[in-house]
Amino acid sequence: MVDGSAPDMNPQEDITRIRVLYTKGESLRFTGHLDMQRIWERLLRRSSLPVRYSQGFHPRARLNLASALPLGFVSQSELLDFWMNEPLPINEIHSRLSNTAPPGLEIKEVSQATLSEDALQVQMAASEFEVEFFDPQDPEELKEKVDDFLAQDTIMRRRRKKLYDLRPLVLEINVLNRENDEPALQMKLKAEEGATGRPDEVMHELGYENTEYLVCRTKLILSNTLAKVSITQ
Amino acid sequence: MSELNSKQENLRRRVERILPTVVKPGRYVGGELNQVHKAWDSVRTHFALVFPDIYDLGQSNLGIALLYDILNKRADVAAERAFAPWIDMEAAMRDAGIPLFSLENKRALSDFDIIGFSLPYETVYTNFINLLDLSNIPIFSKDRTVEMPLVIAGGQAIYNPEPVAPFVDAFALGEGEEAVLDVVNAYQAWEDKGGSREDLLIRLAEVPGVYVPSLYEVNYHGDGRIASIQPTHPSASLPIDKRIMAELPPPLTHFMVPNVEVVQERVSVEIMRGCTRGCRFCHAGMVNRPIRERSVNDILDTLREGIRQTGYEEVSLLSLSSSDYSQIIPLINGLGDLLREQQVNITLPSLRIESFSGEIMDALQDLSPGGGFTLAPEAGTERMRNVINKPISDAEFFDTVREIFEHDWNTVKLYFMIGHPQETLEDVAAIAELAKETLQIGRRIVGGRARIHLGVSTFIPKPHTPFQWAAFDDPVSIQEKISLLHDRLHGSKVKMTWNDPMASQHEAWLSRGDRRIADVIYKAWQNGARFDAWREHFNIEIWQNAFEDCDLDPDFYGKRARDLDEVLPWDHINAGVKKSFLKRDYEWSMEGRIRPDCRQQCYSCGILSSFSELRLAHPDGGWKCP
Ligand code: SF4
Repeated sequence: MVDGSAPDMNPQEDITRIRVLYTKGESLRFTGHLDMQRIWERLLRRSSLPVRYSQGFHPRARLNLASALPLGFVSQSELLDFWMNEPLPINEIHSRLSNTAPPGLEIKEVSQATLSEDALQVQMAASEFEVEFFDPQDPEELKEKVDDFLAQDTIMRRRRKKLYDLRPLVLEINVLNRENDEPALQMKLKAEEGATGRPDEVMHELGYENTEYLVCRTKLILSNTLAKVSITQ
Repeated sequence: MSELNSKQENLRRRVERILPTVVKPGRYVGGELNQVHKAWDSVRTHFALVFPDIYDLGQSNLGIALLYDILNKRADVAAERAFAPWIDMEAAMRDAGIPLFSLENKRALSDFDIIGFSLPYETVYTNFINLLDLSNIPIFSKDRTVEMPLVIAGGQAIYNPEPVAPFVDAFALGEGEEAVLDVVNAYQAWEDKGGSREDLLIRLAEVPGVYVPSLYEVNYHGDGRIASIQPTHPSASLPIDKRIMAELPPPLTHFMVPNVEVVQERVSVEIMRGCTRGCRFCHAGMVNRPIRERSVNDILDTLREGIRQTGYEEVSLLSLSSSDYSQIIPLINGLGDLLREQQVNITLPSLRIESFSGEIMDALQDLSPGGGFTLAPEAGTERMRNVINKPISDAEFFDTVREIFEHDWNTVKLYFMIGHPQETLEDVAAIAELAKETLQIGRRIVGGRARIHLGVSTFIPKPHTPFQWAAFDDPVSIQEKISLLHDRLHGSKVKMTWNDPMASQHEAWLSRGDRRIADVIYKAWQNGARFDAWREHFNIEIWQNAFEDCDLDPDFYGKRARDLDEVLPWDHINAGVKKSFLKRDYEWSMEGRIRPDCRQQCYSCGILSSFSELRLAHPDGGWKCP
């Protein structure tokens, strides 16, 4: 799906496209992408905003989530678009969404998007993550592992039986030495359609199992560049 | 951080570590919309509500949701949920030394004051004791000490509490909405006064509807039949009357909305409780009397408010027999308006044939066009239907089928039972003929779109029903009957599903079991039985061996017809319907004599004599008894 525009657009109607920046907290860590869509549909129904529904016997709100977050991650920065049949003041939309959001889903920012924009998935360019460890880590050792990783030109891995190169999907990795705190990792990974890096794959390559850390997405980076170099996996 | 808090934090972290390794970890995190989360130290009484199957099923259970709401409305009580972890999670928990914990505060169940188990069917019994074990709580009531949680149980299965009596401190019989608060009060009063665990149990025995099995003694004849069941303490009453609500309690609208998919995600409202049809095999129809109805306005308001609070896209009506609801047409019309206004769908419960009118179908058609329609004749011949007291002639049945297809439904689901008392192979073969004829009628009216699904279950004699004395059919004979149906349906397009005869037999053993069978359950659990309700986990051999180890004969419980004057293991439990009434009804069944719906004529089944005071005090309770 690459078309970001609403279906059955009637020029008479005053359709607006609303963009929401929201969090995915602890209690939603293990809620997958499809379940997140249902959570949003129900949130919108509870909000009684003039949401645009599909026609037919099982009407559904049209939603557009920017990027699926792998199971087990939390996030401070998720994006979604939905459409309304009539405009409303942004702060009113914000408060109605906040009032009916489930625990762990905090509405951080609401804005209006232009109707003609591409779908969010198409606009996705990169994601930033922070990784916290459950067990104490030696910062020096961690730094070494990261440097070794970055020094390689290609890192071939297999995911769902497909062979791909992880290295070009990793734009940055930094060791964060926060005050009075355990070291953490910060990484920026490519998130284009068909070329998306996964933090758990990076972590595995660094020698960690998914029971040893918690990943938080901290930022989504959109790009409007239409000409993209596609990286074949 | 106090020591307790750090212990707590520790459990939370250990759980966090195993979650990424199990299937569907979202089952174990809680934090849903409309969850009630109270600070642990802010309340006096901690009450764990446990459904002994996975989250996906338990979270959909309306009974648990209602009790959760009622308990949490009290400022001094926190009710928290726990469910059975799936096999992989249980293994991971045992590996890491993690006890069963609540979803809200992530507290070990052993930290709670009261643990209430919901036991809706017999096949959760091994899960139930497994969860006690996973909570580090002794499985047998007699081994629990004064500082351990009180273990209580309720639910439809425990109208015969005996098979699990040694594991449970106290049972709450019947409808729990008020009883659960009385149990909390008794518990708090005991705490104030101080005392032994036995003092607590005696106090509980004085609460109406509460059965404390350790205060009763069962004596047996040499052949294993029961000689007597006697209280051993003056506070233990005989019989123990079930509790009922004089009026249906306020409906729930504050449903929790799960963050991962569960079996039922919708706003459900109970439109009526109880049933007066009197089908002789039907446990629910007998133990849930009397009928109490909710008003149309109350139902519609509940659905509207429920949608507002959940955002669900589906609503559903709950009752044993919705088309018997006295205001069914106004209700269906009101629903139509509601569905259009709220853009939601509806699931229709099973509807009964006898009470079906063209008018209902006209009204229903708007709600759910083109979908399936369910009919449950339960037996293939008119003779057999008289025996089970579900009287409908073949002609009436086919008229209804015709009406359904003429109203443009394509799919008809037919439910039948095999193994009824007095059943012959002709009665079984007639099921296939009825299904094929139904398909023919459908083809004539809607053509190739007509579909018939035939669901065949096995009759299991249940306590407190007129068939409680009847024998359970032999699994070999059941298998023959299933094969016969297969042969007769061969070449037709009727799709049939059926139950595993061995699984039905297992249910039959447990449903009419006595106290001695608790050892069999315990043994089976020790040998690995759990999730017996799940086809892929049920293992009949474990159970057969367990019977052998305990030196008990399974056929004594299953295939044996009971004498009419035998003391039954549940005779001390009053489910509202008298034994003398059931006995007469059983005798009538043998004569093929039917007993019409008691809304036309009261037969003094025992409800009015058991609850006369309640009836007088609530003249407007929506009862359908005189
Ligand atoms: S008391 Fe009479 S009307 Fe009420 S359920 Fe029993 S038989 Fe039916």
